[in-house]
Amino acid sequence: MRDIAIRVNNVGKKFSRSLKYVMSYGVRDISKNIFGINAATHLLRKDEFWAVDDVSFELKKGEALGIIGQNGSGKTTILKMLDGIFMPDKGKIMIEGKAGALIQIGAGFHPMLTGRENIYVNGAVLGMTKKEIDRKFDSIVEFADIGDFLDTPVKYYSSGMFVRLGFSVAIHCEPDILLVDEVLAVGDVNFRKKCAKKMRELLKSDVTIVFVTHDLGVLRHICEKAICLRSGKIVHHGDIDGAINEYMTLPAETAHGQQGLKEIKKVSVLDGENNEVKTLSTGEKCSLEISIETKEEVMSPVIGLAIYDNTGTMAIGTNTRKSGFKIEKIKGSCAVKVEFPYLNLIPGNYKVITQLYDDSMGTIDRLEDAAFFQVYSKNYSTGYIFPEHSWSIR
Amino acid sequence: MNSIIYEPNKYAKLGFKIWPAMFKDIYRSRELVWRLFLRNWLAKYKQAVLGCLWALIIPFIAIGTFIFLNRAGVLNISETAVAYPLFALIGLTVWQLFSTGVTSGTQSLVTSGSMIAKINFPHEVLVVAAMAQSIFEFMIKLILVVIFFAVYRFCPPWQAVLFPLALVPILLLTLGLSFLLALINGVLRDVANMVSLVVTFLMFATPVLYPAKSSGNIFFKWNPLNYLVNTPRDLIVQGRIVDMEGFILSSVFALGVFLLSWRIFYIAKTKIPERI
Repeated sequence: MRDIAIRVNNVGKKFSRSLKYVMSYGVRDISKNIFGINAATHLLRKDEFWAVDDVSFELKKGEALGIIGQNGSGKTTILKMLDGIFMPDKGKIMIEGKAGALIQIGAGFHPMLTGRENIYVNGAVLGMTKKEIDRKFDSIVEFADIGDFLDTPVKYYSSGMFVRLGFSVAIHCEPDILLVDEVLAVGDVNFRKKCAKKMRELLKSDVTIVFVTHDLGVLRHICEKAICLRSGKIVHHGDIDGAINEYMTLPAETAHGQQGLKEIKKVSVLDGENNEVKTLSTGEKCSLEISIETKEEVMSPVIGLAIYDNTGTMAIGTNTRKSGFKIEKIKGSCAVKVEFPYLNLIPGNYKVITQLYDDSMGTIDRLEDAAFFQVYSKNYSTGYIFPEHSWSIR
Repeated sequence: MNSIIYEPNKYAKLGFKIWPAMFKDIYRSRELVWRLFLRNWLAKYKQAVLGCLWALIIPFIAIGTFIFLNRAGVLNISETAVAYPLFALIGLTVWQLFSTGVTSGTQSLVTSGSMIAKINFPHEVLVVAAMAQSIFEFMIKLILVVIFFAVYRFCPPWQAVLFPLALVPILLLTLGLSFLLALINGVLRDVANMVSLVVTFLMFATPVLYPAKSSGNIFFKWNPLNYLVNTPRDLIVQGRIVDMEGFILSSVFALGVFLLSWRIFYIAKTKIPERI
């Protein structure tokens, strides 16, 4: 049984939507604090909402937790509370050990100062002493891999170099708990690999990691547990696959364009016998049927389709024009069908996005999360794709 | 392993235990204050060819203006204990310790807003670092003062060694006001604009560039800045404290403002990142 590193009990954080109220509540809260009155933070006032609501979880030392969810679902707010930047308005957070956060890399960097100077400033802000920084200096520079730019003002750095330096300084603070926001996305593939490797090393040395990301591939690589947030509430807590599925099937917040006039109604997943299904198997004949309804006439429309796997990578992307299929015009309701005689998707969970374009490829309507389906297979073993194939021997 | 707990109204609940926590926080972050001070300093003068010479040029020109006005008879300043330029320069140097300290201190949190919103560190270091900047500029100006001593062949009396000590109250007042104003400026940006106006007004309302001969003036009498600026100057110029009572009362006032503002800042600082 390992020790608890983070304990979060029924934590909530509220924000106000308008600047006017932010200012007046700010003045009132601060004056209350001055006179030693505890502000009733657990109540919502006019124009306030819970950005994070009733969130509880526990993490043991050396565990990694992923936090996923759409933009604005409260992921960063949770990280900021774990780091002590924000105080919770409800509940209680207990942190064992020193937390180090990468909310935004290079937040303390001054553009006019050189990399060398910024290492010292940033290190001090993150709580390192000069001696510590002196000792780790070479290692910081080596990990950041900024070469000759060490004595150049950081405003002349590329965004990748900037992130590398920031990450390197933060990692060298040797935190017991590392809080990482979606910050590594700027780095190139090699650097991201290096970071992922470093994070796994840290996990082995009993560092606890809380990781916010949209890159589900990296998430799967590092974390074994995850929570999925929606509007500040936990909608899934536990295994990573469950959280990712929950995330993939969250209803999209984007609304239809020109609602009701011209729109994609639904997408059905059909098997070889044209029955609507939720699961398909590799190598099966199948099709997707897109139902469209338009009140006005659309001349030479183009219909596009994309299938994403649960790491967020597009597995298949196609449209009627690229496939050489011309539609003269559509009006009223119609169904456009795309057939896959041999499904070569590997087993996993997939989602479908469809889009309706006009003649000049301007979007008329887009349906996120149009359909979800699962692929299983009896004969798939490993690999990226599963094309139709046969074996022989001579 | 030390465990940290975050909950609503964390610091307000501490009561009197807050004082040791405040001292501990500031003591622990002394190195950070130094780093941020260096950062501000480097950043300020790095892209200027004249660099830190600016810290000398600006007061020099300000003094020049007053000497000019005095010579032209626009400003009729009565006899001062030493040559007027010397008198004005010492006064202005002490005054600017206060004025630049308060102005930059008030803005210190807002100018580092992105850092506050993304990194957890004791926010008071930003205010203290702004103050340190003002102290450093003050020390550069002292070079100018010494040059003026030579030019006017003035030898300060031995009591002048007490000069740094006599500056402590005005430093406390500056830091105290900076804490309070920086906090309010985090929520209401009006404060920064108001401060620069009020500070300019106060400079003329306080006997900085002219001697306080009309001691009956009610505004001079109740203005702590009068004593806090003039006592250090009197020590150099006359070798004595002219109004001991006024100086002591003002010093107590300054200490009170400092302690109260620091405490307020410490309690309310958790609200800063979400409002800034």
